[in-house]
Parts: sequence; structure tokens; C-alpha cells
Amino acid sequence: MEIQEFKRTVFAAGKDAGLEDMEVFFTRSKSFSTRIFQKEVDDYRVSVVQGVGFRARFAGKVGYSYTETLDEESVELLIRGAKANAQIIDSDEEIEFFPGSVDYPEVVAFDPAIEAVTAEEKIDFAKALETEAFATDERVAMVNWATTGYTETDVYIANTKGLEQSFRRNGAYGFVSAVVRQDEQAKTGSRMVFGNDWSQFDAKKLAKEAVEEAASLLGARSLPSGDYRVLLRHDVARDLLATFSSVFSAEAVQKGLSLLAGKLNEKIASPCITLVDDPLLKNGGASASFDDEGVATHTKNVIEEGKLMTFLHNLKTAKKDGVEPTGNASRASFKSPVGISPSNFFIQPGTMSYDALVETLDNGIIIIDVQGLHSGANPVSGDFSLGAYGYLVENGVIVRPLEQITVAGNFFTVLDEVEAIGADLEFGSPGSGGHVGSPSLLIRQLSVAGN
Amino acid sequence: MLNESLITDVLSAALSTGGDFAEIFAEDTRGTNLRMLNGRVEEGVSGRDYGVGIRIFQGFRSVYAYTNDASKENLVKVAKEAAAALSGTPQLQDIVLQRLRFEAFNPVSKKPAEVLHTDKVAIMKRAHFAASDYDSQITQVAITYMDTDQNVLIANSEGLLVEDRRIRTRLGINAVATKGNEKQSAFRGPGGHRGFELFDHIHVEEIARDAARSAVTMVNADYAPSGKYPVIIDNEFGGVIFHEACGHGLEATSVAKGASVFSGKLGQQVASPLVTAVDDGTIPNAWGSQNIDDEGTKTRRNVLIENGILTGYMVDKLNGRRMEMESTGSGRRQSYKFAPTSRMTNTFICAGESTKEEIINNTEYALFAKRMGGGSVNPATGEFNFAVAEGYIVRNGKIEKPVRGGTLIGQGAQILQKIDMVASNLATGQGMCGSLSGTIPADVGQPTIRVSEITVGGRKGAN
Repeated sequence: MEIQEFKRTVFAAGKDAGLEDMEVFFTRSKSFSTRIFQKEVDDYRVSVVQGVGFRARFAGKVGYSYTETLDEESVELLIRGAKANAQIIDSDEEIEFFPGSVDYPEVVAFDPAIEAVTAEEKIDFAKALETEAFATDERVAMVNWATTGYTETDVYIANTKGLEQSFRRNGAYGFVSAVVRQDEQAKTGSRMVFGNDWSQFDAKKLAKEAVEEAASLLGARSLPSGDYRVLLRHDVARDLLATFSSVFSAEAVQKGLSLLAGKLNEKIASPCITLVDDPLLKNGGASASFDDEGVATHTKNVIEEGKLMTFLHNLKTAKKDGVEPTGNASRASFKSPVGISPSNFFIQPGTMSYDALVETLDNGIIIIDVQGLHSGANPVSGDFSLGAYGYLVENGVIVRPLEQITVAGNFFTVLDEVEAIGADLEFGSPGSGGHVGSPSLLIRQLSVAGN
Repeated sequence: MLNESLITDVLSAALSTGGDFAEIFAEDTRGTNLRMLNGRVEEGVSGRDYGVGIRIFQGFRSVYAYTNDASKENLVKVAKEAAAALSGTPQLQDIVLQRLRFEAFNPVSKKPAEVLHTDKVAIMKRAHFAASDYDSQITQVAITYMDTDQNVLIANSEGLLVEDRRIRTRLGINAVATKGNEKQSAFRGPGGHRGFELFDHIHVEEIARDAARSAVTMVNADYAPSGKYPVIIDNEFGGVIFHEACGHGLEATSVAKGASVFSGKLGQQVASPLVTAVDDGTIPNAWGSQNIDDEGTKTRRNVLIENGILTGYMVDKLNGRRMEMESTGSGRRQSYKFAPTSRMTNTFICAGESTKEEIINNTEYALFAKRMGGGSVNPATGEFNFAVAEGYIVRNGKIEKPVRGGTLIGQGAQILQKIDMVASNLATGQGMCGSLSGTIPADVGQPTIRVSEITVGGRKGAN
């Protein structure tokens, strides 16, 4: 069945089964990816997949179900599943089914030009990543990743309250990772590009940066443990922000899982920090005119010059707090219940170049990569302790690479101790947690463990 | 799921442009996920994953296509589209499918679909109350319950046709302890390749109380001192160190292309002679076990390291071509949305001869990592990091005090050489392992071991 017919069938059958409000959340994705190894297409993938998330109210409670195949058997499965799941719900939080906003913003997230880039062109780009990486430095032992891909996604949401919205987005990515070896030491460096402007896909630049970074880490060693002044490079700052973004979710706040509870309109960060959630960003990886409950989206400052302005809300949390929803309802996939996530979420860039930040750092360390974010960071307490790579800086000049160190600190303390912000805002790759970006951040002090 | 004439038609279409091997992986999976917060069920989701993946090899090249539309018309079309990525003379193969039969060793007595939701909720409540009643500092308990019933059909142009059913059940317990402004959480996640009878085999209350105990201990703990010093890693989930720092480097995924520090080292001493390690997908009802892997090869017990000597890798079909090695039954994938690659099943360091008490009594100063958190590794360099979820300082042969916030970093191959004591108390723990072919259930395990030195990161300065 096509989704429209499937929806009508499900809603009709659901009504017969005694379900009250019902909603379908449908996504369909078409994707392509390829990986090059030793000048050959090593891996080539194409797919078209879809799925329907269904939720329904029965006896006042809401249950969820999903399916990936739109057949008669699935209609039955969706209804039976949602009903059974509704019947065990104890929570008396009321879940609203949204009838639709009056106006929806115009958002551009689909670019036909990148859809038109052929498979051959993408393969050539990935081949160029590998070739350029080898050409950059003779110590390149292997290029373990030279890959590119493209995805386009259709989202359709409709419910029995009258909501019906659809949206389409697309984007491509390129990724290169190279290993350089010298003597017994091996170091890796990688670079990623994401977006739907193919003209920004510069294989030579990407490969060169990845290799130069790997090479710059050769000869790295640890340093004495202690407290150091730290420059978090934009990608590290971004990863930290992404890891701790749940602290801005009203759901986390209401459940006592965010230390920001009760801090609205208070200063929680250095005055140089303005944190923006902008779902309207042109061609942003998380741009959309409506959120996953169908609420119209809008741009807002979550932190403005250090002051906490708002949490991110869906319908349920907004109702509980007696505020307007912020358009941040999010379903990680059609299989997932409604939660909250940022959209395009970034720290407003400053004016200092990266080099100027290094000079301002004067004596301290630059962190260019961290590992273990999924295990060594605790979003509830804000504590993190992460393996790191970087450079030692003395008198404003990089003197040597660092490895076998960990940086430890607390996210909230970091926000408060930002002394300077770079102009080098860059975004990562978008995912279910939004599309997060940051410029480089100069931090007063972090605890570093070495030898 | 798919009939034989459809399968041969699709495989033939896949080989129409010179591919030398084609495979179909069809899946119909039912699952339920329930989430309880502070004793109240907040969410219930159940659903059906359904789709087909088609894979073609031409030498070392691999093409993979997948779809939810399992009609013959669409599958032949998808197979042809995938084949269009290759070029060559079609090798006419007469595909004669032969059904592979095996003796299933993961018996299930209570199929989750036949168990009432209310019985599942009853288990969750037992876990909730055991954890929340443990101590007044426990301020939040989140319980998750999941079951999946995955039906797969795998067929390939070599004539293989096999079906398998994988039923898995898991409980997740997350206890949060609060002291003033500070919160610490602890997780336990027992599970198995079995049905609802899982709960006849585990002690739900004991596990839940252990999570609560761990969270309370940590919220009252001082920060771990940083520096380079000996670390004792306890049994069970402590095996994540081996999984992350060595296991991934022994997967053909990274070995075949020379990307692993263990590439080309078969027969060499790569670990302390005290270390023997295996990956065993044949342990009845274990979380990471499977009758057959996701390429249709029977799983096996693979000895990876024996008395410190590297004896084997975990190999899938495609990487096996590059390495000129047979599959070791290690080709796994999360679902039809992923092409399989070599992965771990149940991976552990085998029992040694010391006791845990001997190890502690013979240690002047160390971090005792009683419970490990997750971690990650760079397979190209073997550099790893992972969090210590529950730590203690050992001083003069005795456990002195709990410490939190520690992170272990190092290089897998070096750590393996520095293991200087191995106890006999082998135990395993359940985890979800994420890699190229998705997130899959895997057991980690080990006895208590001592490593002569590891860099420990922590918020407190050096001791």
C-alpha cells in the first residue's frame, strides 16, 4: 500500500478497535554510499527504506507501534500493539495530538542540484580523497576511509485531529581518514564534509587536512599531570556540546536529570556565550518547518550572553511548564516515541581567528580530538573525563603534539569559564540529536592527566 | 519468507553483470520495548522490522542494496540496480539451493510474544522496588525491558539456504543516587539469547540492588587520582577492556586491510603468557550466541590468543577473500539494513590460576576497577579509552576507599603484555557493540586481572 491508503486503512481499523486519537509518522529514505580502497570501488550501497510509527490513545493512555512494511498484517499489528502498549501505561501525563499550527515557516532543506550529482561523480570524489591523501605525505601508510554518500528523506505526519504535513530534505557527505606511520608510531587523522552544496566538496582540501593532522601527531607523547589552560578546537567543542545537549531539554529538567533545573533567566555561562537553536537555517542538516509532533518551528536563543533563556520543549513538557512548545519534539526514528532534541544547534561565533586564539592561549594545550564521549561523559552531573590528543603551546606557539592524556572537567564549569570564542564555527554531521556546531573555545582551566 | 524460485531469480539477476557471489538476507523481526521511570510505565513500543538485503561480490568488491519491498518484481529490480555497479561477463551459474539444517542450541521455552505485557511489567516493578528501596540516596530508577524475535532467511549463489530464529530478552536497570548537587548513575543490563524464561535464570532483585549499591557508593566517593599506576580490573563486565582494546583489532574488518596492530602477527607473542582469549558464539543461550552467523555460517569457538600467542582472527566471507582464510562464523549485522562484517559474539579472557583475593593482597597500590563503563578504540592504532564506572583505591593489599570519574587510556597491544595476574573467576556481562555493521548484542567477559600500569585520567591531581 502507499502511505495515504495505509493511513486511511489504519485509522478506519483503529476506530473500529476503539482507539481514540491516532497518528502516523512516516519516513522514507533513499540513500547511496560508496567507499574506495586502493583506487577501486570497495563498497557500494543503495537503499530505499520506509517505516511508519503509529501512536494511539486508548482509555486515555497513549501506546506506540511501528512497521516497515505497509501490508494488511501490519495494520492489525499496529493497532493491536498500540492498544496493548497503551493499556500498561501508568504515567498520567497527558499526551496531546496536535491539530496543526496556523502558519508554517518556509524552510529550504532540499537541493535538487545535489540530487543530480551522479554516482560516478561521487565515486570520483571518493577516489580523489584517497589519491590526494597519498599525494600529501609519503608517510601515509593507508587511507582507511575514503567514502561519500547521499541521503534524501521524506517525512509525512498526519493524525485524526486534522494535522497533515510533509517535508523533504537531502544531503551528501564525504569522509576521509588516513594513517601515517613513522618508525613504530601510527597516527590517524580524519575530515568530514556534510551538506547539500556540492561545490563545497573539496577532496584535496579535506584529504590534505586529514593527513596533515595525522602527521602533526607523530612523535606525540604525554605531559605532566596538572591543570592547564585549554583551547578546545571547534570540533571538540562541538562534540562536547552535542554530548551534553540533553541538559537543555525540558524533559530532562522536569525529570530531575538536568542541573539547569530552576536556572531560567539566570547566568549559567560566560557572557561571551550565545547558544542558538535555528531550525530555519538554510540547508541545515536538521532544518524543518515543523517538528515531529507537527508543531511549527522557530529560531531562538537558548543562552543569550551567558543567560539561560529557555529550555527546549515538546507539547507535553510545554504544557507541564505552562509555556508555548518550542518546536523541538523529536523522534529519533519512526520506531521511537516522541522526545526532545535541538535542531541546528550552535554557539554563536566570535571574531577571533584560530591562530589568534592560539596566541591568546599563550601557555597551555590545544585539544583537537577526544575519545570516549559515550562512556566518559555524564550528562546528569556534567562531569567528563576523556582521552585526548592535542598540542602543547608555549608562549603562543605550538611546540609539540600530545597523546596519552585525559582531560577532565565539568560541562557547566566549562561554559562558565570560556574566555574567548573563535570565528571558526563548524557543524558536524547531523543525526537524531540535531545538527550541532561550535567555534573553538578558550577555557580558563581543565584538569589534564598525563604522566 | 521467500520462496525458492524467487530466491534463485534474484540471485541470478544479481550475478548478471559479472559478480561471482550473491546473497540474500531476508528478515522479519518483532519486538517490544517498555520503559519505566520511578515505578511507572511511561512508554511501550512494539513493532515489526521487515526487509531484504542483497549483496554481490566481485573479487574484493562488494555491492549491497536493501529494501522493504519484498515483491519478486521489486527484488529483481533492486538486484539488477545493485549489479549495475559492477561490470564484467556474467558467469553462468546454475544455482541449486540446499537447505542447511543445524541443531539449534539456544532453546527458548517462553516466547515473548506469548507473554502478557502485564507479566513483563511485573518483572520491571520487581527491579524498580529492589533498587529504589535499597537506600534513601537512590532518587531515580529507570527500568527498560526489551525482547526481539528475529526471523532470518539467508541464501546465496553457492546454494546455501538457511533459516534461523533469534529470540533475545533483556532487562535494563539504571539507578541514580543523589547527594546534594551531585548525581551518579549505575547500570546493569542482564540478557540472553532466550525468551521470558531469562527471569527464571537471573535474580532480578539482586542485580537491581547491585546497581543501586554501585550508584550510592559512587556518589559518596572522592575523585580518582590521575597518573600512571597499576590497575586491577574485576571480572564480568571488566572484559570490555579486552573487547574494545583487542577484540576489535582482531576482527577481519580491520585486519584484512592491514589497518590493525594485529595484522600479520599470527603465531607471534602479542600478550602476556597468562592470557588466553576466545570468541565463542556457541555458548547455549548466551547474549551474543547465534546458531548461524548472518552469512549463514555456523558459529564456532574461535581461540584468538593462546598463552599469549596470537592464534586466530574473527573472519567474515568478504574479508576472508582478502586474507585467504575461511569464515570463522563471525559475519554479523544489526539488520537487513547493514552488510555483514566480522564481529564479536561472546568474547572473553579465559580463567587463570590466581584468586581475586591474592591479586588484591599482593598489590601495594592500584586502582581497582570493579565495574567498567563503556569505551572506544581506534583500530588503526589500538589506542583505547574507557570509563571506570565503579572504582576503588587498593593500598597495601587492601581495598581502601571508593573513587569515581576515572578513565583508562592506553594502547591495547601494550596493555595485553602488561597483564601480570589473572584470576580464576571468569564471568561474562552483556553489552551492545556498535561498529560498521550496526549495533549487535555481544557478551564481554574475563576473570579479575591486574595490569602493571595504565594511564588513569581523573579530576583529582596525581597521587
